[in-house]
Amino acid sequence: MKKFLSLILAAVMLLTLVPAMAESPVEITMLLEGCNVTDDAAVLEKLNAYLGEKIGVTLKPVWGTWGNFDDLAQNAVNTGSSEYDIMFTCSWTKNEYAPYAKKGAYVRLDDPEDNLLNEYGAELKTVLPDLLFEGAMTEGPDGEKGIYAVPGFKDFATMNTWDVNVTLLEKYGYTLEDVVKAGFYGWGDIFAKVKAGEEAEGKVFYPFVFEGAVVERYVDGTPIVTGDSSGLLSYYMNTEDVSVPGAYGNVIFNKFATPEFEKFARQMREYYLAGYIDPAIAIGETATDTWRNAQNTASYLISSEVSLYGYEYTTSEARGIQVAYVMTTDAPYIDNTSVQGAMMAISANSAHPVEAMKFLNLLNTDPFVMTLLNYGIEGVHYTLNAEGEVEFNADARAAYSPWTNGLGNVTLLPPQKGQGADFQKRFAEFYAGSKKLPIYGFTFDGKAVETEIAAVANIKDAYALSLFTGAVDVDTALPELLSKLEGAGMQKIVDEANAQLKAFLGE
Amino acid sequence: MTLTKTKTGPDVRLRGTASAARKKTFWLTTMMLPAAIWLLLIRYLPMFGIMMSFLDYRLPTRKMPFPMNLLKSEWVGLKNFQFLFTGESLTMIRNTIGYNALWIVLGLLISVAFAIMMSELTRKFLAKAYQTMMFFPYFLSWVVVSYFLFAFLDPTNGMIVRAQRSAGGAVVDWYNSPGYWPYILTICSVWKNTGYSTVLYLSAITGIDRTQYEAAAVDGATKWQQVIHVTLPHLKPMIIILLIMNVGKIFNADFGLFWSVPMNSAPLYPVTQVVDTYVYRAYTSTGNVGMSTAAGFLQNLVGFICIMIANSVVRRLDADSSLF
Amino acid sequence: MTTAAARKHGSFRLNVVSRKAETLFHVILGVFALACIIPFIFVVIISFSSEESIRQVGYSFSPAAWSLDAYNQVFNLGDALWRSYFNSFLITIVGTVASVAMCVLYAYPLYRKDYRLRGFFSFLSFFTMIFGGGLIPTYIICKNLLGMSNNYAALIVPMLVSPFNIIIMRTFFQTSVPFDLIEAATIDGSGEYTTLVRIILPIVKPGIATIALLTALGYWNEWFLCLLYVTDRKLYPLQYLLMEMQRNAEFLARNSSMIGASGASAISSLPSQTMRMAVVVFIVLPIACAYPFFQRFVVAGLTIGSVKG
Repeated sequence: MKKFLSLILAAVMLLTLVPAMAESPVEITMLLEGCNVTDDAAVLEKLNAYLGEKIGVTLKPVWGTWGNFDDLAQNAVNTGSSEYDIMFTCSWTKNEYAPYAKKGAYVRLDDPEDNLLNEYGAELKTVLPDLLFEGAMTEGPDGEKGIYAVPGFKDFATMNTWDVNVTLLEKYGYTLEDVVKAGFYGWGDIFAKVKAGEEAEGKVFYPFVFEGAVVERYVDGTPIVTGDSSGLLSYYMNTEDVSVPGAYGNVIFNKFATPEFEKFARQMREYYLAGYIDPAIAIGETATDTWRNAQNTASYLISSEVSLYGYEYTTSEARGIQVAYVMTTDAPYIDNTSVQGAMMAISANSAHPVEAMKFLNLLNTDPFVMTLLNYGIEGVHYTLNAEGEVEFNADARAAYSPWTNGLGNVTLLPPQKGQGADFQKRFAEFYAGSKKLPIYGFTFDGKAVETEIAAVANIKDAYALSLFTGAVDVDTALPELLSKLEGAGMQKIVDEANAQLKAFLGE
Repeated sequence: MTLTKTKTGPDVRLRGTASAARKKTFWLTTMMLPAAIWLLLIRYLPMFGIMMSFLDYRLPTRKMPFPMNLLKSEWVGLKNFQFLFTGESLTMIRNTIGYNALWIVLGLLISVAFAIMMSELTRKFLAKAYQTMMFFPYFLSWVVVSYFLFAFLDPTNGMIVRAQRSAGGAVVDWYNSPGYWPYILTICSVWKNTGYSTVLYLSAITGIDRTQYEAAAVDGATKWQQVIHVTLPHLKPMIIILLIMNVGKIFNADFGLFWSVPMNSAPLYPVTQVVDTYVYRAYTSTGNVGMSTAAGFLQNLVGFICIMIANSVVRRLDADSSLF
Repeated sequence: MTTAAARKHGSFRLNVVSRKAETLFHVILGVFALACIIPFIFVVIISFSSEESIRQVGYSFSPAAWSLDAYNQVFNLGDALWRSYFNSFLITIVGTVASVAMCVLYAYPLYRKDYRLRGFFSFLSFFTMIFGGGLIPTYIICKNLLGMSNNYAALIVPMLVSPFNIIIMRTFFQTSVPFDLIEAATIDGSGEYTTLVRIILPIVKPGIATIALLTALGYWNEWFLCLLYVTDRKLYPLQYLLMEMQRNAEFLARNSSMIGASGASAISSLPSQTMRMAVVVFIVLPIACAYPFFQRFVVAGLTIGSVKG
């Protein structure tokens, strides 16, 4: 039986190993995320002429969309397909950076024996900040720490903010100051007055609209523990100064078992019962739409947002109100999750890792390549105005809109209309003021407790959103959740995480 | 099994020379070939993947291409199956099997009844119209159905909710009240699947020789007696086959129905958590393909055992109707 | 034929259910059929609603304002729309014809009690109805071994044979073809293929129509194969255009906080809800129109009866 099996396997292998023919110039295939591209012929013609001459490479992008990227990428890595040389990866797609680097899906770029990064990516190394590479450090298949993807140079620090509808706030005689001073636990009076005032006109109004799945982070100051993709773990940061440890020190907790969490959940319950929160926000599949819809129609008072530099101008204009973002920490914080938020990896099955690296180097250092790939052709897809800002030609852009943050070094791009000529400089300065978390560089590896995670995640999902949004009674739901979590091995996961963190900090 | 039975030699009913029998076997076999080759290539060849249920799956790479990676992956025994029996998994096992058992019976009764009713209508035009309409649900994905339902149950703007509010009655928080959902899900399931199985039964009724009804009528049988004594016996093979095949899926659930229709609402999990949603959530949180393969294998195994039992029961009662 | 004609005019009309019972049947079937069609009517209404009205009051049977925007958006897809229509038709027609042929050819010998390898082949197909290798190995075989990548074959071949349909078809043979018929044909010296095509197939027409209908519905509704094996937009079937919009929206809804502020703009650039509904209308209409074609065989058979002697 075993012999027979091996025979079949060998036959399958022979048939699947179609030798890759060497061609010149070398064609590099790149799988991208979040793109909306239906016509790339003109861009590619121009780009490939340039690339062929410069580094002997032509590019064949596969424009993945939000809807199909996960399946394309996951199938490619799981089946060892050689069809993509370069692949988008990050901390939130299904070909998740850290675990798949560990499984050996990506080429180590700083391999001591074959250091692609030093050899073909020297310029890239000087252009990208060191802290990005620091955050990209992760374990490979044999446990060796290294860089397995080129991190995207974008808003690399997390800015958790309350999004305040200042226009509405002022209508009821409050100021932004009042909101900041009262804080999450003291917004009841403001909500009451605004809700009553708005509903006097006969419609239903919910002043507090947020992303339920993550809002607890904003209140409790608990960043994502990188690698905890199901949101079970909490690390409490020091919101006064995110670069030093918080009151608990560098310890990881069961998210739901802390007094902070209970206090938060009780407050949410109070707001929910008072009618300040749209019940649709507590329903998994309608949560995000409800939240975004309320924001876009300006029918909210306070909302939540993972913001970025200069975002208030964009949203104020789009919503026709004055929007202000109130940061919930003293500075944007740098954690692995944000640094690993958009990366480019070279597939371990690529036949052309060297050429792929050469291309990535150019993509991250050559404004011509980056701009062409992102914005298209000047005069066709966009024009530059007197200030040197990009103005898109709507029709051409509709057929060619890659996802900018998923492509590489966005600081090479010219500013868009309204951003001002010195936008990139201000952008860079702003993020230079961000701070690293004390546990920066730590990635939780759940491999050893997978069975527990699978069971616990199912239990957690049955309660989390309801507790986060106040839709259930804390007195009954919380103890129930905690005892079920215990029964499914939650403590084992927390212990494993703390052991790993200790080992990491001890290094 | 049947294999041993057929190996006993050519059927005695068709006596012919040995060469004629061989010729017959040959020609009939050529008929099977296209689909048989397809089955071998696309269904049987990938079955080595069942191994993955027992492996700590290693990705294929250039140095260790597929399928060598399988041989190099560590054998972990039943570890990949453990998560299906940890924590609150009993709820999802109960839900999966419970809903399936209920729906198999309900689906059978409703679609057989509908098919018989339709066949008895004198206005064939209306029968056709009903049948066409019953197929529409098949085209609406569960997501679209969930929008439809949400339009009624939306906690703020829903039509039912608004009616309740304007009538001054208590407003039901539908997506927060698990008690209603077994009924809602059952209605949705029947609504979506009835058209499909009704057409199967209806075309089986079509195959019945009408003279049998005439003969029964001449003998003074009422319409109801004709249904009992002519229609149902003829439907029996189809009923049994569909029943056996549905029993084989007793541990599988329609993901979209249990995820999208209740809008993935957390408080409803006690009545909406089924094996497919459970595995999906487990997979999203761990990314372990071994675990999802294991779950799939277990589902198949349970189905296989159930089919074998059902089939052997049927064979004892009525050998001609059994699956094999 | 003569019996059928006689039946139409003759005394057979007397053998029907009572008027009362028939009225009851009409009520039951009618209510259920209405329940089946109403959600689709709802979809049509939404597709003609204005986005603004949906934002304000949600989905409703009587929207605050009507609009043709959704259909304009769909027509703006231009070539992509008509191409995907063409693809869907091509895939459905080729797939259905090939699939039904293979199904009938496989099911017929399984019905033949005198076929020696019957047990073996019946198990061969039945086993795959229960067990499969799973997504990854199937993907590897189809894509790497059989070359199903960015071509029509990838959208047709992987669902060519359905063990479920084979078993159903075999049951149709069993219930409507008396075995004596085959014996008689064999004695007449008719070849196996001739017997099948000339004698058996006309009898199982309703069964074939049913299988063809189910297969055609399956192909027309299929989008997952496209997700797996096709990235070339020129090959997208209509159903996949819709699913892509749907999946884009779902993904952004689930990962919003990760994508951050750029996720918000991505959400706002998604095709509108009304447009997605308009696409559903485009998907359902052709097959709803094609339905009577199949139905002719399924329901018409009710009055004609089988040809057996």
